[in-house]
Amino acid sequence: MQAHNRRKTVLLLAAMTSLVAIVVWAAGLYAGYTTVGILPIAVGIALIGTWGSYYSSDKLVLAMTGARVIDESDAPQLYNLVHEVVIASGMPMPKVAIVEDRAPNAFATGRDPEHAVIAFTTGILQVMDREQLQGVAAHEMAHVANRDTLVSAVAATTAGAIALLSDLLMRMMWFGGGRRDNREGGSNPILLIASLLVLILAPIAAMLLRSAVSRSRESLADATGVQFTRNPAGLRRALETLAADSTVVNQRSTAVAHVWIESPLDSSMSSKLFATHPPLEERIANLRALENGQFDN
Amino acid sequence: MGTYIAIAAVIVLVALFVVGQYNGLIRLNNVVSEAFAQIEVQLRRRTDLIPNLVETVKGYAAHEKDALERVIAARSAATAAHGVPDVAAADGQLTQALRGLLAVSEAYPDLKASANFIALQEELASTENKVAFARQYYNDSVRSFNTKCQTIPGSLFTGLAKVSARPFYEVEDPEARNAPKVQF
Repeated sequence: MQAHNRRKTVLLLAAMTSLVAIVVWAAGLYAGYTTVGILPIAVGIALIGTWGSYYSSDKLVLAMTGARVIDESDAPQLYNLVHEVVIASGMPMPKVAIVEDRAPNAFATGRDPEHAVIAFTTGILQVMDREQLQGVAAHEMAHVANRDTLVSAVAATTAGAIALLSDLLMRMMWFGGGRRDNREGGSNPILLIASLLVLILAPIAAMLLRSAVSRSRESLADATGVQFTRNPAGLRRALETLAADSTVVNQRSTAVAHVWIESPLDSSMSSKLFATHPPLEERIANLRALENGQFDN
Repeated sequence: MGTYIAIAAVIVLVALFVVGQYNGLIRLNNVVSEAFAQIEVQLRRRTDLIPNLVETVKGYAAHEKDALERVIAARSAATAAHGVPDVAAADGQLTQALRGLLAVSEAYPDLKASANFIALQEELASTENKVAFARQYYNDSVRSFNTKCQTIPGSLFTGLAKVSARPFYEVEDPEARNAPKVQF
Protein backbone atom coordinates (compact mmCIF):
# COMPACT_ATOMS: atom_id res chain seq x y z
CA MET A 1 0.00 0.00 0.00
CA GLN A 2 2.82 2.37 0.91
CA ALA A 3 4.72 1.68 -2.30
CA HIS A 4 1.55 2.00 -4.34
CA ASN A 5 0.82 5.33 -2.72
CA ARG A 6 4.31 6.62 -3.36
CA ARG A 7 4.08 5.69 -7.03
CA LYS A 8 0.78 7.52 -7.30
CA THR A 9 2.38 10.51 -5.62
CA VAL A 10 5.19 10.69 -8.15
CA LEU A 11 2.73 10.30 -11.00
CA LEU A 12 0.56 13.07 -9.69
CA LEU A 13 3.44 15.48 -9.15
CA ALA A 14 4.62 14.77 -12.69
CA ALA A 15 1.12 15.43 -14.03
CA MET A 16 0.88 18.73 -12.17
CA THR A 17 4.31 19.82 -13.38
CA SER A 18 3.45 19.03 -17.00
CA LEU A 19 0.17 20.87 -16.66
CA VAL A 20 1.96 24.02 -15.51
CA ALA A 21 4.48 23.62 -18.31
CA ILE A 22 1.68 23.36 -20.87
CA VAL A 23 -0.01 26.46 -19.54
CA VAL A 24 3.19 28.48 -19.66
CA TRP A 25 3.83 27.18 -23.15
CA ALA A 26 0.32 28.15 -24.26
CA ALA A 27 0.82 31.55 -22.74
CA GLY A 28 4.04 31.91 -24.66
CA LEU A 29 2.31 30.95 -27.88
CA TYR A 30 -0.36 33.50 -27.29
CA ALA A 31 2.16 36.16 -26.46
CA GLY A 32 3.81 35.48 -29.79
CA TYR A 33 6.93 33.47 -29.00
CA THR A 34 7.82 30.52 -31.15
CA THR A 35 7.18 27.11 -29.62
CA VAL A 36 10.69 25.74 -29.27
CA GLY A 37 12.29 28.66 -27.48
CA ILE A 38 9.67 28.94 -24.76
CA LEU A 39 9.51 25.26 -23.82
CA PRO A 40 12.59 25.03 -21.54
CA ILE A 41 11.49 28.17 -19.76
CA ALA A 42 8.00 26.72 -19.28
CA VAL A 43 9.35 23.49 -17.85
CA GLY A 44 11.73 25.44 -15.64
CA ILE A 45 8.95 27.60 -14.19
CA ALA A 46 6.81 24.51 -13.61
CA LEU A 47 9.60 22.64 -11.85
CA ILE A 48 10.47 25.58 -9.62
CA GLY A 49 6.81 26.04 -8.71
CA THR A 50 6.23 22.40 -7.83
CA TRP A 51 9.48 22.15 -5.93
CA GLY A 52 8.69 25.33 -4.00
CA SER A 53 5.34 24.06 -2.86
CA TYR A 54 6.87 20.67 -2.10
CA TYR A 55 9.60 22.17 0.02
CA SER A 56 7.66 24.75 1.99
CA SER A 57 4.18 23.21 2.13
CA ASP A 58 4.17 23.04 5.93
CA LYS A 59 5.15 26.69 6.41
CA LEU A 60 2.70 27.82 3.73
CA VAL A 61 -0.22 26.03 5.33
CA LEU A 62 0.69 27.21 8.83
CA ALA A 63 0.92 30.81 7.67
CA MET A 64 -2.32 30.51 5.70
CA THR A 65 -4.37 29.10 8.53
CA GLY A 66 -2.75 31.12 11.30
CA ALA A 67 -1.85 27.95 13.18
CA ARG A 68 0.37 28.34 16.23
CA VAL A 69 2.83 25.55 16.97
CA ILE A 70 2.66 24.49 20.62
CA ASP A 71 4.83 22.39 22.88
CA GLU A 72 4.04 19.97 25.64
CA SER A 73 3.52 22.53 28.41
CA ASP A 74 0.90 24.52 26.42
CA ALA A 75 -1.57 21.66 26.06
CA PRO A 76 -0.34 18.56 27.87
CA GLN A 77 -3.34 16.40 27.07
CA LEU A 78 -3.39 17.19 23.37
CA TYR A 79 0.34 16.69 23.13
CA ASN A 80 0.04 13.41 25.02
CA LEU A 81 -2.65 11.96 22.84
CA VAL A 82 -0.81 12.87 19.65
CA HIS A 83 2.28 11.24 21.11
CA GLU A 84 0.30 8.07 21.87
CA VAL A 85 -0.78 7.76 18.25
CA VAL A 86 2.76 8.51 17.09
CA ILE A 87 4.06 5.63 19.20
CA ALA A 88 1.39 3.35 17.76
CA SER A 89 2.43 4.32 14.24
CA GLY A 90 6.17 4.00 14.87
CA MET A 91 6.81 7.35 13.17
CA PRO A 92 8.64 10.49 14.33
CA MET A 93 6.75 13.01 16.46
CA PRO A 94 5.20 15.77 14.33
CA LYS A 95 4.78 19.38 15.41
CA VAL A 96 1.44 20.02 17.07
CA ALA A 97 -0.37 23.27 16.29
CA ILE A 98 -3.55 25.03 17.36
CA VAL A 99 -5.74 27.23 15.15
CA GLU A 100 -7.93 29.81 16.89
CA ASP A 101 -11.24 28.91 15.29
CA ARG A 102 -14.54 27.88 16.77
CA ALA A 103 -15.30 25.48 13.92
CA PRO A 104 -14.26 21.95 14.90
CA ASN A 105 -11.61 20.85 12.45
CA ALA A 106 -8.14 19.42 12.13
CA PHE A 107 -5.56 19.01 9.41
CA ALA A 108 -2.17 17.54 8.74
CA THR A 109 0.52 18.97 6.50
CA GLY A 110 4.21 18.74 5.73
CA ARG A 111 6.24 17.23 2.93
CA ASP A 112 7.39 14.12 4.84
CA PRO A 113 6.97 12.59 8.30
CA GLU A 114 10.04 14.48 9.55
CA HIS A 115 8.45 17.84 8.70
CA ALA A 116 4.85 16.99 9.53
CA VAL A 117 2.50 19.30 11.40
CA ILE A 118 -0.84 18.27 12.87
CA ALA A 119 -3.17 21.15 13.73
CA PHE A 120 -6.38 21.25 15.71
CA THR A 121 -8.84 24.12 15.97
CA THR A 122 -9.76 25.38 19.42
CA GLY A 123 -13.31 24.36 18.50
CA ILE A 124 -12.50 20.69 18.09
CA LEU A 125 -10.67 20.66 21.43
CA GLN A 126 -13.82 21.95 23.08
CA VAL A 127 -16.43 19.65 21.57
CA MET A 128 -14.53 16.37 21.64
CA ASP A 129 -13.46 14.08 24.45
CA ARG A 130 -10.09 12.40 24.74
CA GLU A 131 -11.04 9.24 22.87
CA GLN A 132 -12.51 11.18 19.96
CA LEU A 133 -9.48 13.43 19.72
CA GLN A 134 -7.27 10.37 19.70
CA GLY A 135 -9.25 9.07 16.73
CA VAL A 136 -8.82 12.41 14.96
CA ALA A 137 -5.09 12.46 15.72
CA ALA A 138 -4.82 8.92 14.33
CA HIS A 139 -6.63 9.96 11.14
CA GLU A 140 -4.29 12.92 10.65
CA MET A 141 -1.24 10.83 11.47
CA ALA A 142 -2.45 8.36 8.84
CA HIS A 143 -2.42 11.19 6.29
CA VAL A 144 1.18 11.83 7.23
CA ALA A 145 2.04 8.12 7.02
CA ASN A 146 0.40 7.77 3.59
CA ARG A 147 2.12 10.96 2.33
CA ASP A 148 -1.28 12.51 1.58
CA THR A 149 -0.23 15.81 3.08
CA LEU A 150 2.51 16.37 0.54
CA VAL A 151 0.36 15.40 -2.41
CA SER A 152 -2.60 17.52 -1.49
CA ALA A 153 -0.44 20.52 -0.65
CA VAL A 154 1.46 20.41 -3.92
CA ALA A 155 -1.65 19.65 -5.93
CA ALA A 156 -3.52 22.56 -4.42
CA THR A 157 -0.66 25.04 -4.78
CA THR A 158 -0.01 24.08 -8.36
CA ALA A 159 -3.69 24.08 -9.21
CA GLY A 160 -3.92 27.53 -7.68
CA ALA A 161 -0.93 28.74 -9.66
CA ILE A 162 -2.40 27.44 -12.91
CA ALA A 163 -5.72 29.09 -12.22
CA LEU A 164 -4.00 32.37 -11.41
CA LEU A 165 -1.78 32.23 -14.48
CA SER A 166 -4.54 31.48 -16.95
CA ASP A 167 -6.75 34.08 -15.35
CA LEU A 168 -4.01 36.65 -15.85
CA LEU A 169 -3.56 35.67 -19.49
CA MET A 170 -7.28 35.75 -20.17
CA ARG A 171 -7.34 39.30 -18.93
CA MET A 172 -4.37 40.26 -21.08
CA MET A 173 -6.18 38.83 -24.06
CA TRP A 174 -9.39 40.62 -23.22
CA PHE A 175 -7.78 44.00 -23.07
CA GLY A 176 -5.75 43.45 -26.20
CA GLY A 177 -2.46 43.12 -24.36
CA GLY A 178 0.30 40.77 -25.30
CA ARG A 179 2.71 41.44 -28.07
CA ARG A 180 0.49 41.70 -31.03
CA ASP A 181 2.83 43.87 -33.09
CA ASN A 182 5.87 41.64 -33.35
CA ARG A 183 4.04 38.36 -33.33
CA GLU A 184 4.82 35.84 -36.05
CA GLY A 185 3.75 32.31 -35.09
CA GLY A 186 0.80 33.69 -33.16
CA SER A 187 -0.85 34.98 -36.29
CA ASN A 188 -1.81 31.41 -37.09
CA PRO A 189 -5.47 31.30 -35.94
CA ILE A 190 -5.43 27.56 -35.17
CA LEU A 191 -2.49 27.96 -32.80
CA LEU A 192 -4.18 30.89 -31.16
CA ILE A 193 -7.38 28.95 -30.60
CA ALA A 194 -5.43 25.97 -29.26
CA SER A 195 -3.59 28.09 -26.76
CA LEU A 196 -6.85 29.71 -25.72
CA LEU A 197 -8.39 26.28 -25.18
CA VAL A 198 -5.46 25.19 -23.04
CA LEU A 199 -5.75 28.32 -20.97
CA ILE A 200 -9.43 27.65 -20.36
CA LEU A 201 -9.17 23.92 -19.76
CA ALA A 202 -6.04 23.84 -17.62
CA PRO A 203 -7.63 25.28 -14.46
CA ILE A 204 -10.46 22.77 -14.78
CA ALA A 205 -8.00 19.92 -15.20
CA ALA A 206 -6.09 21.14 -12.17
CA MET A 207 -9.25 21.21 -10.07
CA LEU A 208 -10.12 17.69 -11.19
CA LEU A 209 -6.66 16.44 -10.28
CA ARG A 210 -6.91 18.04 -6.88
CA SER A 211 -10.28 16.56 -6.03
CA ALA A 212 -9.09 13.13 -7.20
CA VAL A 213 -6.39 13.40 -4.60
CA SER A 214 -8.53 14.07 -1.60
CA ARG A 215 -11.42 11.77 -2.44
CA SER A 216 -9.80 8.37 -2.28
CA ARG A 217 -7.43 9.24 0.49
CA GLU A 218 -9.89 10.09 3.25
CA SER A 219 -11.26 6.55 3.52
CA LEU A 220 -7.78 5.11 3.40
CA ALA A 221 -6.71 7.44 6.21
CA ASP A 222 -9.66 6.28 8.33
CA ALA A 223 -8.56 2.68 7.90
CA THR A 224 -4.90 3.41 8.58
CA GLY A 225 -5.83 5.47 11.63
CA VAL A 226 -7.84 2.60 13.08
CA GLN A 227 -4.89 0.32 12.43
CA PHE A 228 -2.86 2.61 14.70
CA THR A 229 -5.31 2.85 17.59
CA ARG A 230 -7.23 -0.44 17.11
CA ASN A 231 -10.18 1.57 18.29
CA PRO A 232 -12.68 2.43 15.54
CA ALA A 233 -15.16 3.82 18.07
CA GLY A 234 -13.06 6.93 18.81
CA LEU A 235 -12.88 8.13 15.22
CA ARG A 236 -16.45 7.04 14.54
CA ARG A 237 -17.75 9.12 17.45
CA ALA A 238 -15.58 12.04 16.34
CA LEU A 239 -17.08 11.93 12.84
CA GLU A 240 -20.56 11.76 14.33
CA THR A 241 -19.85 14.88 16.32
CA LEU A 242 -18.62 16.61 13.17
CA ALA A 243 -21.69 15.47 11.23
CA ALA A 244 -23.99 16.82 13.91
CA ASP A 245 -22.07 20.08 14.02
CA SER A 246 -21.73 20.76 10.32
CA THR A 247 -24.41 23.43 9.85
CA VAL A 248 -23.02 25.50 12.68
CA VAL A 249 -19.53 25.30 11.27
CA ASN A 250 -20.52 26.45 7.83
CA GLN A 251 -22.33 29.49 9.11
CA ARG A 252 -19.56 30.52 11.42
CA SER A 253 -16.87 30.08 8.84
CA THR A 254 -18.34 32.02 5.93
CA ALA A 255 -16.25 35.05 6.66
CA VAL A 256 -13.07 33.01 6.65
CA ALA A 257 -14.15 30.79 3.78
CA HIS A 258 -14.59 33.81 1.55
CA VAL A 259 -10.96 34.73 1.96
CA TRP A 260 -9.83 31.16 1.47
CA ILE A 261 -11.79 30.58 -1.71
CA GLU A 262 -10.22 33.56 -3.36
CA SER A 263 -6.73 32.65 -2.35
CA PRO A 264 -4.83 30.36 -4.70
CA LEU A 265 -4.01 28.23 -1.67
CA ASP A 266 -7.47 27.44 -0.52
CA SER A 267 -8.44 25.44 2.51
CA SER A 268 -8.37 22.04 0.86
CA MET A 269 -4.62 22.21 0.39
CA SER A 270 -4.35 20.58 3.75
CA SER A 271 -6.08 17.28 4.07
CA LYS A 272 -9.01 18.31 6.17
CA LEU A 273 -10.93 15.89 8.22
CA PHE A 274 -13.96 17.91 7.35
CA ALA A 275 -15.74 18.66 4.08
CA THR A 276 -14.16 15.83 2.20
CA HIS A 277 -15.67 13.91 -0.64
CA PRO A 278 -16.77 10.60 0.83
CA PRO A 279 -19.79 11.61 2.86
CA LEU A 280 -19.39 11.44 6.61
CA GLU A 281 -22.24 8.94 6.86
CA GLU A 282 -20.40 6.50 4.64
CA ARG A 283 -17.21 6.82 6.64
CA ILE A 284 -19.12 6.37 9.91
CA ALA A 285 -20.77 3.22 8.53
CA ASN A 286 -17.38 1.81 7.52
CA LEU A 287 -15.98 2.41 10.99
CA ARG A 288 -19.01 0.83 12.56
CA ALA A 289 -18.42 -2.28 10.47
CA LEU A 290 -14.89 -2.42 11.86
CA GLU A 291 -16.23 -2.12 15.40
CA ASN A 292 -18.50 -5.09 14.85
CA GLY A 293 -15.58 -7.42 14.66
CA GLN A 294 -14.56 -7.50 11.03
CA PHE A 295 -11.19 -6.13 11.88
CA ASP A 296 -8.20 -8.08 10.75
CA ASN A 297 -4.83 -6.50 11.01
CA MET B 1 31.88 -13.32 -25.17
CA GLY B 2 28.11 -13.47 -24.89
CA THR B 3 28.19 -16.31 -22.41
CA TYR B 4 30.64 -14.42 -20.19
CA ILE B 5 28.29 -11.47 -20.11
CA ALA B 6 25.39 -13.78 -19.28
CA ILE B 7 27.35 -15.42 -16.45
CA ALA B 8 28.41 -12.05 -15.09
CA ALA B 9 24.80 -10.85 -15.20
CA VAL B 10 23.60 -13.91 -13.29
CA ILE B 11 26.31 -13.42 -10.66
CA VAL B 12 25.39 -9.76 -10.25
CA LEU B 13 21.69 -10.62 -9.93
CA VAL B 14 22.38 -13.30 -7.31
CA ALA B 15 24.59 -10.89 -5.36
CA LEU B 16 21.89 -8.21 -5.45
CA PHE B 17 19.34 -10.74 -4.22
CA VAL B 18 21.55 -11.83 -1.31
CA VAL B 19 22.28 -8.22 -0.34
CA GLY B 20 18.56 -7.42 -0.48
CA GLN B 21 17.64 -10.35 1.76
CA TYR B 22 20.44 -9.60 4.20
CA ASN B 23 19.57 -5.92 4.47
CA GLY B 24 15.88 -6.69 4.84
CA LEU B 25 16.54 -8.97 7.80
CA ILE B 26 18.87 -6.48 9.49
CA ARG B 27 16.45 -3.62 8.94
CA LEU B 28 13.47 -5.49 10.42
CA ASN B 29 15.61 -6.69 13.33
CA ASN B 30 16.56 -3.08 14.08
CA VAL B 31 12.92 -2.00 13.92
CA VAL B 32 12.13 -4.63 16.57
CA SER B 33 14.97 -3.39 18.79
CA GLU B 34 13.83 0.22 18.44
CA ALA B 35 10.27 -0.79 19.24
CA PHE B 36 11.42 -2.52 22.40
CA ALA B 37 13.45 0.53 23.38
CA GLN B 38 10.28 2.61 23.00
CA ILE B 39 8.44 0.27 25.40
CA GLU B 40 11.26 0.69 27.91
CA VAL B 41 11.18 4.48 27.57
CA GLN B 42 7.47 4.54 28.32
CA LEU B 43 7.78 2.07 31.20
CA ARG B 44 10.50 4.23 32.73
CA ARG B 45 8.30 7.28 32.40
CA ARG B 46 5.64 5.43 34.29
CA THR B 47 7.94 4.32 37.09
CA ASP B 48 9.13 7.94 37.35
CA LEU B 49 5.56 9.11 37.86
CA ILE B 50 4.83 6.67 40.66
CA PRO B 51 6.67 8.32 43.63
CA ASN B 52 4.75 11.52 42.96
CA LEU B 53 1.48 9.61 42.72
CA VAL B 54 2.15 7.69 45.92
CA GLU B 55 2.91 10.92 47.80
CA THR B 56 -0.23 12.59 46.50
CA VAL B 57 -2.46 9.67 47.42
CA LYS B 58 -0.82 9.39 50.86
CA GLY B 59 -1.73 13.00 51.55
CA TYR B 60 -5.43 12.20 51.30
CA ALA B 61 -5.73 8.46 51.86
CA ALA B 62 -2.77 7.41 54.01
CA HIS B 63 -4.53 4.37 55.42
CA GLU B 64 -4.91 2.67 52.02
CA LYS B 65 -1.64 0.94 52.88
CA ASP B 66 -2.29 -2.26 50.93
CA ALA B 67 -2.86 -0.60 47.61
CA LEU B 68 0.05 1.81 48.12
CA GLU B 69 2.48 -0.91 49.07
CA ARG B 70 1.51 -3.10 46.16
CA VAL B 71 2.29 -0.23 43.79
CA ILE B 72 5.65 0.43 45.45
CA ALA B 73 6.57 -3.27 45.35
CA ALA B 74 5.49 -3.63 41.73
CA ARG B 75 7.48 -0.52 40.86
CA SER B 76 10.73 -1.84 42.28
CA ALA B 77 10.16 -5.18 40.54
CA ALA B 78 9.63 -3.31 37.27
CA THR B 79 12.81 -1.27 37.71
CA ALA B 80 14.84 -4.45 38.26
CA ALA B 81 13.41 -6.41 35.30
CA HIS B 82 15.52 -7.23 32.24
CA GLY B 83 14.74 -9.00 28.99
CA VAL B 84 11.42 -9.17 27.20
CA PRO B 85 9.58 -11.83 29.29
CA ASP B 86 10.62 -10.33 32.67
CA VAL B 87 9.85 -6.78 31.65
CA ALA B 88 6.49 -7.88 30.31
CA ALA B 89 5.58 -9.73 33.53
CA ALA B 90 6.61 -6.80 35.75
CA ASP B 91 4.73 -4.43 33.45
CA GLY B 92 1.54 -6.47 33.90
CA GLN B 93 1.93 -6.49 37.70
CA LEU B 94 2.45 -2.75 37.86
CA THR B 95 -0.51 -2.06 35.60
CA GLN B 96 -2.74 -4.09 37.91
CA ALA B 97 -1.37 -2.47 41.08
CA LEU B 98 -1.90 1.00 39.63
CA ARG B 99 -5.42 0.16 38.60
CA GLY B 100 -6.09 -0.99 42.14
CA LEU B 101 -4.70 2.22 43.65
CA LEU B 102 -6.74 4.40 41.33
CA ALA B 103 -9.84 2.36 42.11
CA VAL B 104 -9.52 2.95 45.86
CA SER B 105 -8.79 6.63 45.33
CA GLU B 106 -12.26 6.90 43.75
CA ALA B 107 -13.59 6.92 47.33
CA TYR B 108 -11.78 10.17 48.23
CA PRO B 109 -13.49 13.21 46.71
CA ASP B 110 -10.82 15.60 48.06
CA LEU B 111 -8.09 13.56 46.40
CA LYS B 112 -10.02 13.36 43.14
CA ALA B 113 -10.53 17.11 43.16
CA SER B 114 -6.89 18.04 43.80
CA ALA B 115 -5.20 19.67 40.82
CA ASN B 116 -2.07 17.64 41.33
CA PHE B 117 -3.99 14.38 41.22
CA ILE B 118 -5.90 15.40 38.10
CA ALA B 119 -2.67 16.24 36.29
CA LEU B 120 -1.11 12.99 37.49
CA GLN B 121 -4.10 11.02 36.32
CA GLU B 122 -3.82 12.46 32.82
CA GLU B 123 -0.10 11.69 32.79
CA LEU B 124 -0.67 8.14 33.99
CA ALA B 125 -3.56 7.49 31.63
CA SER B 126 -1.49 8.77 28.73
CA THR B 127 1.58 6.79 29.75
CA GLU B 128 -0.57 3.70 30.08
CA ASN B 129 -1.83 4.27 26.53
CA LYS B 130 1.70 4.88 25.29
CA VAL B 131 2.89 1.66 26.89
CA ALA B 132 0.01 -0.20 25.27
CA PHE B 133 0.70 1.33 21.86
CA ALA B 134 4.42 0.70 22.16
CA ARG B 135 3.64 -2.94 22.97
CA GLN B 136 1.32 -3.17 20.00
CA TYR B 137 3.91 -1.67 17.66
CA TYR B 138 6.58 -3.98 19.09
CA ASN B 139 4.46 -7.07 18.57
CA ASP B 140 3.58 -5.98 15.04
CA SER B 141 7.26 -5.53 14.21
CA VAL B 142 8.11 -8.89 15.80
CA ARG B 143 5.41 -10.53 13.74
CA SER B 144 6.73 -9.20 10.43
CA PHE B 145 10.34 -9.91 11.43
CA ASN B 146 9.59 -13.46 12.52
CA THR B 147 7.59 -14.13 9.38
CA LYS B 148 10.56 -12.98 7.34
CA CYS B 149 12.90 -15.18 9.42
CA GLN B 150 10.76 -18.28 9.14
CA THR B 151 9.70 -18.20 5.51
CA ILE B 152 11.74 -18.81 2.38
CA PRO B 153 13.79 -16.99 1.15
CA GLY B 154 14.43 -15.00 4.36
CA SER B 155 14.98 -18.17 6.40
CA LEU B 156 17.99 -19.08 4.22
CA PHE B 157 19.84 -15.95 5.27
CA THR B 158 19.23 -15.76 9.03
CA GLY B 159 22.58 -17.48 9.65
CA LEU B 160 24.40 -15.01 7.41
CA ALA B 161 22.73 -12.01 9.06
CA LYS B 162 23.19 -13.53 12.54
CA VAL B 163 19.56 -12.88 13.52
CA SER B 164 16.83 -15.17 14.80
CA ALA B 165 13.13 -14.92 15.66
CA ARG B 166 12.38 -12.47 18.49
CA PRO B 167 10.01 -13.08 21.43
CA PHE B 168 6.58 -11.46 21.55
CA TYR B 169 5.82 -9.09 24.40
CA GLU B 170 3.10 -10.88 26.28
CA VAL B 171 1.40 -9.28 29.24
CA GLU B 172 -0.21 -11.53 31.80
CA ASP B 173 -2.95 -9.07 32.68
CA PRO B 174 -5.67 -10.03 30.18
CA GLU B 175 -7.20 -6.56 30.27
CA ALA B 176 -4.00 -4.91 29.20
CA ARG B 177 -4.01 -6.82 25.94
CA ASN B 178 -7.25 -5.27 24.80
CA ALA B 179 -7.35 -2.06 22.85
CA PRO B 180 -6.16 0.72 25.14
CA LYS B 181 -8.91 2.70 26.76
CA VAL B 182 -8.64 6.23 27.96
CA GLN B 183 -10.42 5.60 31.21
CA PHE B 184 -8.03 4.54 33.88
